Amino acid sequence: MSDIFAFDGALEAGYAQPAPLLSDAEAIAGIPESLRRKSLPRWPRASEPELVRHFTWLSRRNFGIDTGFYPLGSCTMKHNPRVNEKIVQLAGMNDIHPLASESHLQGLMAIFYEMQEMLAHCAGMDSVTLQPVAGAQGEFAAIRCIQEFHRSKGETNRDKVIVPDSAHGTNPASAAMCGYQIIEIPSQEDGRLDLDALRAVVGDDTAAMMVTNPSTLGIFEPEIAEAAEIVHDAGGQMYYDGANFNAILGKTSPGLMGFDAVHYNLHKTFSQPHGGGGPGSGPIGVKSHLAEYLPKPVVARHEDEGGLDGWSYVWEDPANSIGKVQQWHGNSGAVVRAWAFYRRYGRDLEKMSEHAVLNANYLRHRILNPDADVKAKIPAMPVDGAPAKVVKHEFTLSMSPVKDATGVSGKDVAKRLLDYGYMAPTLYFPMIVPECLMVEPTETESKEVLDKFAEDFLTILTEDPELVKTAPHTTDVSRVDEVWAARNLVLRHSLGE
Amino acid sequence: MVDHLPNLGREKEMLHAMGFSSIDDLFSDIPDSVKRESPLDLPPPQTEEEIWADAQRLLGANVAINSRPNFLGAGLYENFVPSMVAAMATRGEFLTAYTPYQPEVSQGMLQALWEFQTMISELVALPVSNVSMYDASTAAAEALNCAVRVNNRKATQKNVVYVTKWLPEHRLSVIENYTMGGDIEIRTLDWNEDGMIDLVEAEVAAGACAVYVEQPNPFGVIDENLSHLKQIIGENTALIVGVNATSLGVIEAPGNWGADIVVGEGQAFGIGATAGGPLYGIFACTDKYIRQMPGRIVGKTFDDNGADAFTLTLSTREQHIRRHKATSNICSNETLIALMGGMHMALLGPMGLEKLACRNAAACQVTMAGVLSLDGIELLFNDVGAYNEFTVVLPSSAESALAHLDGLGVNGGLALCDVMVDAEDNWLHITATDQTTSDDVEALVSGLKSWLSSLVAGVAA
Repeated sequence: MSDIFAFDGALEAGYAQPAPLLSDAEAIAGIPESLRRKSLPRWPRASEPELVRHFTWLSRRNFGIDTGFYPLGSCTMKHNPRVNEKIVQLAGMNDIHPLASESHLQGLMAIFYEMQEMLAHCAGMDSVTLQPVAGAQGEFAAIRCIQEFHRSKGETNRDKVIVPDSAHGTNPASAAMCGYQIIEIPSQEDGRLDLDALRAVVGDDTAAMMVTNPSTLGIFEPEIAEAAEIVHDAGGQMYYDGANFNAILGKTSPGLMGFDAVHYNLHKTFSQPHGGGGPGSGPIGVKSHLAEYLPKPVVARHEDEGGLDGWSYVWEDPANSIGKVQQWHGNSGAVVRAWAFYRRYGRDLEKMSEHAVLNANYLRHRILNPDADVKAKIPAMPVDGAPAKVVKHEFTLSMSPVKDATGVSGKDVAKRLLDYGYMAPTLYFPMIVPECLMVEPTETESKEVLDKFAEDFLTILTEDPELVKTAPHTTDVSRVDEVWAARNLVLRHSLGE
Repeated sequence: MVDHLPNLGREKEMLHAMGFSSIDDLFSDIPDSVKRESPLDLPPPQTEEEIWADAQRLLGANVAINSRPNFLGAGLYENFVPSMVAAMATRGEFLTAYTPYQPEVSQGMLQALWEFQTMISELVALPVSNVSMYDASTAAAEALNCAVRVNNRKATQKNVVYVTKWLPEHRLSVIENYTMGGDIEIRTLDWNEDGMIDLVEAEVAAGACAVYVEQPNPFGVIDENLSHLKQIIGENTALIVGVNATSLGVIEAPGNWGADIVVGEGQAFGIGATAGGPLYGIFACTDKYIRQMPGRIVGKTFDDNGADAFTLTLSTREQHIRRHKATSNICSNETLIALMGGMHMALLGPMGLEKLACRNAAACQVTMAGVLSLDGIELLFNDVGAYNEFTVVLPSSAESALAHLDGLGVNGGLALCDVMVDAEDNWLHITATDQTTSDDVEALVSGLKSWLSSLVAGVAA
């Protein structure tokens, strides 16, 4: 194991810097003596050659899309084009300041404006802000806008937000952070929205309903327009969780389905690399009646002969803005990467969605319909998490029949897939599907990859259950003891203490 | 034609295998009533070469802060990130990974983040750090929420927190939005005439859930009074300190003068100002706050064979498990930027950190001396310490000074009234960093001098 804190070079090891403008003694003359640091942090004492090896070693112990197939449902792990990384390294992106005058930021603002317009168009919304830096922050910002909308009408009694039991955990968490009480409604047996359950809870205390469509089961909610009508009739607002937007570009839109507000996950649909957990970007779009509440500022423009391509771009504060949710203008670097991704597709974003859906349906078909000779060797087959003729960009499998027949759980199969060189699908979510695996191949995987994954997946179902239950066997470490970690909380290096 | 779809041209073959005849069959589940009637009204796809050219053209229209003498900072700093950082962080295994839910194939990222936690813990002198918040403002806001959850039961001022006077709007507004849902009342902690927290007045905060202050404060003043604050507010009121990360190379770590939670902007370690995002917020705390802290955290453990291993831990606090009872809604965070920050910190090492901080402090001293050599410009607060920024009072509006300087190719700083509602329009906030040169200072001083002359000429005319 490479231990960065074991590098024990000279105190001066590391990065040589130019001489300061004053001697160190003169420099710190401005620091009150009582507040001068007495002992330096015990950071590594290593030089670049050692660190390059350390981080290269670490990187080889990490799995990314570049390493192999990453069918992590709900996360849309598609290929990240490399030119996008090159673009954000330009000085005109990497070294610009959000508080600089507008005249210094015209290029960035032109890209922002183009993205605001494109996202609004694709979702059937009227106004967009790019400020939220993650999907969850987008949810939070949009629910805050809805809250102010109700308050402006004096409807302060609306203190409940409805979410289906299949919702992402961020939905109820974000609404709760706004102070709302959460009403969770059960799905129907087939996993779809239950309109009767909705009617039973909706009322004049309903602030909003938050829905993901296609749902977290990967199926399109056929009665979404009716659900929107029920909520609207009660005076509530409809919020669209855009995690699954990749499935529907050019086919339908949240606006057409009756939603009032939506967040986009630029790190999913528009390929901002996820970087091991972030950064993300979670712009929100709203219908015109909510536009005055959007976080400030947004980009507006007016014609200007001397401007960039004939336009002059300005920051504009929505009239009754909720203020800020991030301190500057959001994750601009993610927005610019997403812009470069969008430019690659243009109007063919529809084709992107078609291929995401094509791949998901194809993989589902290959897994659930094995050749007879293969099927004969499998003790028990998984079943659809939700019955459907077609799915959208992802699908769920319940591994319950497998577990009942052989004792092999969904988690065991997920861990065994790691041995075959795949990232595991999303595990045990949505919670309404027992022993759930959620599989999302994305549009950037070839047919060959999908065929091979289906073949390997089915092979695992024929393997000795003990082999699967003790998987993984070929990874850098074997199954990790998460319980020990939570009980003992070793959250930093002891540095020899 | 789009070039990143490997199955283009093979649609029929795949559809037939499933018993379908057209792509439309796959969208037959979308009711006609909500189907889009016309295709997306967007331009045709572009090639990589076209995108690259247009990106260079558009982003080339921006003015980079390192392309001219720059004194604009205010929480986001001109810096130089060693080349190793981007080279290592953009390795595909790091760049294109998701959150490490499968620790068996994510040991690299998990270990790197655990190292990051250790380095932040050492930097601020508190035992626990998470793997990042979105930015300094959300870190401050979530720290206040965290403190209320922990301290409210014993608090004599229920649901009340105090924040330092003169917070910029981009901090205060985020705090207000994030604390509103919990019905948390935000009160203000007053300053004395030196630009420091008034320790007598501060007694009002005793018994509240938390106090949030910044070191250095929003005007750049190093506040010596802060080191006495914890004694005044007491054990059950959290002292939350927002820091300028690099300053901790020369300024005492808040964990050593009473801080319970330290937050701040990590940007100067790891990434350029990048138009304000992505950045990463630092969040570190004492053991008391661990179980109520927001965000992801990595713990060390063992695998089935007894080998050292790392994993995400304490996830029962988080939204994907606890849903509406979670400590925060944060899911995606700023991991990659924190990784870059960790790489930068590791390369600096202890002495490199001190050197970097001294370069900042030196640039600040030199710039301040230059600016104060001009008649008519004075410090807003005299005889106080400064690290890399300070605020001066001008004889006319900061906006006019900045416009004059801009015309000379100099970013003169920030008109504080742009970010603080109650700031006077002649308060100019000036930031110098390790990237500031003597020539830069000369350009600023001579620019201000000619601006001052133009004022006199203007009056004469």
